[in-house]
Amino acid sequence: MNTERLPGARSLALVGILFVIAPLPVLGSGYYIGVLSRILLFALFALALNIVFGHNDQLFLFMGGLGGVGAYTTALVADSFGVTPWIGLPVAALLCGVIAMSVSWVSARRRFTVILISILTLNLQLVFSEAFIGARDLTGGSTGFPYELFSLSGVAEAVGVPTAVVLYYLILAFLLAGMVLYLWLIKSSRYGIAFEAIREDELAAESIGIDVVRYKAIAGFIAGVLIAIAGTLLAREASYITPSIFTFLAVDVIALIVLIVGGIRRTYGPIVGAIIVEVIEAALGTYAANWRTAIFGGLLIILFLYFRSGVIVAAEDLLEDWDISLGGGNGGTPTEADAES
Amino acid sequence: MVTVSTLAALAVDGLAFGASLALLGVGITLVYGLGEVLNLAIGAFAVIAAITAALLIDRGMSLPIAILAGLAFVGVFGLLVDRTLLSLVYRSEGEERILLGIFTTLGLTVLLEGVMVNYVSSRYSLPLGISPIDVGATVVTGTSVVSIIVTAVIIAVLFLFLNRTFLGKATRTIFQDERGARLVGIDPRKLRTLVFVLSAVVAGLAGILAAARSNVSVANSFQFTTFALIVSIVGGIRSLVGAVVAGLVLGLINTYANFFVGSYFATIILFGAAIVFLLVRPEVMSS
Repeated sequence: MNTERLPGARSLALVGILFVIAPLPVLGSGYYIGVLSRILLFALFALALNIVFGHNDQLFLFMGGLGGVGAYTTALVADSFGVTPWIGLPVAALLCGVIAMSVSWVSARRRFTVILISILTLNLQLVFSEAFIGARDLTGGSTGFPYELFSLSGVAEAVGVPTAVVLYYLILAFLLAGMVLYLWLIKSSRYGIAFEAIREDELAAESIGIDVVRYKAIAGFIAGVLIAIAGTLLAREASYITPSIFTFLAVDVIALIVLIVGGIRRTYGPIVGAIIVEVIEAALGTYAANWRTAIFGGLLIILFLYFRSGVIVAAEDLLEDWDISLGGGNGGTPTEADAES
Repeated sequence: MVTVSTLAALAVDGLAFGASLALLGVGITLVYGLGEVLNLAIGAFAVIAAITAALLIDRGMSLPIAILAGLAFVGVFGLLVDRTLLSLVYRSEGEERILLGIFTTLGLTVLLEGVMVNYVSSRYSLPLGISPIDVGATVVTGTSVVSIIVTAVIIAVLFLFLNRTFLGKATRTIFQDERGARLVGIDPRKLRTLVFVLSAVVAGLAGILAAARSNVSVANSFQFTTFALIVSIVGGIRSLVGAVVAGLVLGLINTYANFFVGSYFATIILFGAAIVFLLVRPEVMSS
């Protein structure tokens, strides 16, 4: 791997190796493999959100719906054309990419604010959710259907490990590919620079010749593709697809928390956030499963009121304050607090 | 074969459903117009009022008192939320505040749902015990008629309050010009509290009427919120009259669609209407 081309390739390789060896101590435990897989899956959702929301100010609140469209499409294409799901998945990814790109394109053309995009996509999310339940002929309604695609069990038998382990490495491969894409896109391509310029000041970016609509549409497309893959793998992890996997509360709320906990616009924010959130979730599952929803709701409130820049960043700031100065003017958050009324 | 009388009966049911939608729309519009907080927890308020009233009836309270107590409870709860959570949101300004409002109220609705599910997990209904009413050849459900009348009265009172009383006029000045209102000595924060409590009660009434017509469970809270959102998008987020009209029209459309093409498609029509309105007139949502 040549580090010159891709900044941060070395640390990504390190993270990759850590995740490759992570399941080795727990190979026998289906439960821990499941937790690890969910970490990767929500890191993938949050990665998509980081690109489209973090770097592009387009708050997508239909990740669950879009992921569901991806998952159902993969299965339906494979089923109705009698092809392998490995062909169905790219078709689904392309479809979701185009859907997300259209949303971004229309929103950018009409100069939607971040609030408008969030409300528009929330409405789309609810349409998708209803459609999954209503289109019973295609989706099996709320009872769903078994989802054991990609013939992973064959591989698992050949290698002599549980199917869940094979799936884990498959998800890891997609996540690492997504991270490579992220590093290239944001850190080394002209897209990253354009995204930054647009985020700072859309009008100024336009005036120096940046095609704002095009860049936002591209970000939407990439996020759509990643979300379709994450959605398909999420259904595969559950090995049974139902509309309840892809609700707003099950996907979007969690992905948002993951991204904010890990730190928005930080390369490893999605992964760090996913680890923290899934550890909390696993602990709750053992001790307070009934309170899971309530605790995540409370978490959402606290995170947005007090830790907008990420828990990790806040912790770093705190440590820095202790080390360097005691009571000196800390950096604070120089956001655009100046009222423009 | 669909007869005229069936269509008329559907219209009454549609208007009754629309009445609840209108109340939810008014609730979300009042708060957004006054403080730019899009209250995504409004559905939870509706459910809280309905379930409180139902539980009180189980304890032997009479129906009218239980309903009033449910409304009072959600009003006090609204006051609590306003003084704690929203005070934190109002510290920021402009777009930042709108975004913060969306996320904190979203978190609140998830939190409330998660708490309530542990204590009140069944479905609750508030039968008013009104027999069907014969109108010529048609039979309409009495509950629907009562829903329409109660909503009409409450909305009329609300409009009288906003247009005729000093407090109401003061409230409307903030709608139009916050700085101007402050200059003439009106404290926007106090009025925001008043309006938030008012909106919680109005939403609570919507929930109680919904429970009177069929039944309500904790899982309905997010659904009510989305209904409120759709109504406010179609009616224009700052227009109370728009919210009432949009609520009634969408209620009629939904009920007819429900009857002719099925409930899932009817719901999709509602969301579709909201999406079309967002795309055609996005300015209604911007500040």
